[in-house]
Amino acid sequence: MTLFGFEITGYQISFLALAGITVLAALGVVLIPNILRAALLLGLTLFGTAGLYVLMNAPFLAAVQVMVYVGAIVTMIVLAIFLSHEVMKTGFGKSTYNFLLGGAAAAVLFLFLFISIANSVWVRNAVAQGPAAEDVGVQSVARMLLQPYVFPFELASLVLLTVLIGAIVIAKEDKPGEP
Amino acid sequence: MSHSAYGIPISWFLTVAAILFCAGLFGLMTRRSAIGMLLSIELMLNAANINLVAFGSYLKMPTLAGQVFAVFVITLAAAEAAVGLAIVINVYRHEKHVDVDKMTTMKL
Repeated sequence: MTLFGFEITGYQISFLALAGITVLAALGVVLIPNILRAALLLGLTLFGTAGLYVLMNAPFLAAVQVMVYVGAIVTMIVLAIFLSHEVMKTGFGKSTYNFLLGGAAAAVLFLFLFISIANSVWVRNAVAQGPAAEDVGVQSVARMLLQPYVFPFELASLVLLTVLIGAIVIAKEDKPGEP
Repeated sequence: MSHSAYGIPISWFLTVAAILFCAGLFGLMTRRSAIGMLLSIELMLNAANINLVAFGSYLKMPTLAGQVFAVFVITLAAAEAAVGLAIVINVYRHEKHVDVDKMTTMKL
């Protein structure tokens, strides 16, 4: 399809839509003072990222993203905000130099990254047209996880168990007379 | 413009990831509440994930390793959020605020 003299594909249109949603929601996360709205916008950002994963030929990862990130992490953050509602009153730093420093650091880093992306040899060596078609179903990801990466996989489950116990111990109310 | 089915170059994904990472950095430097800083860290981890998956599927010999690494990053992000929020709730219970500028109990 041709738009303003440019040849444009449906994939490009969906990429632009998803990327626009993701970037705008991310800017909302860092700019909106109300922390609850920022947390919900983070959920929107993660949804947009799941859509980008689908465009990158990674449907399994998109499902994991929606289930774990949007379903678990954002819910947990929202519940933590409810439990400590004083957090709503803590907005940004009082001084403006924080904004200046933060904006300058972010702008400089973005400039650096953009120049790197434009000139990088990795980008030139990548496939130009789009993600190469391959077997990307659940089965091949599972084979990858359980054959070459089985040790990190088991280590991750150990980390999750440790974190679960640690989080309970830290968040538990300490009563006198209890260890 | 390439004449393929997709027509999305990898640099588009990398640019989106760079924008997300810089937004996370900005939020990390300006937010003063601990939960707001956690949100910014999640943004930065997400940007790293986009890069991993993009390079994994755009190589000339595509590999699933990028997706597997992204799964590990998501797992560790969940762990980090759980411990961080437990600490936030504990601090809130003791000090009735979550302002990182006022958390100076352990400072010398």
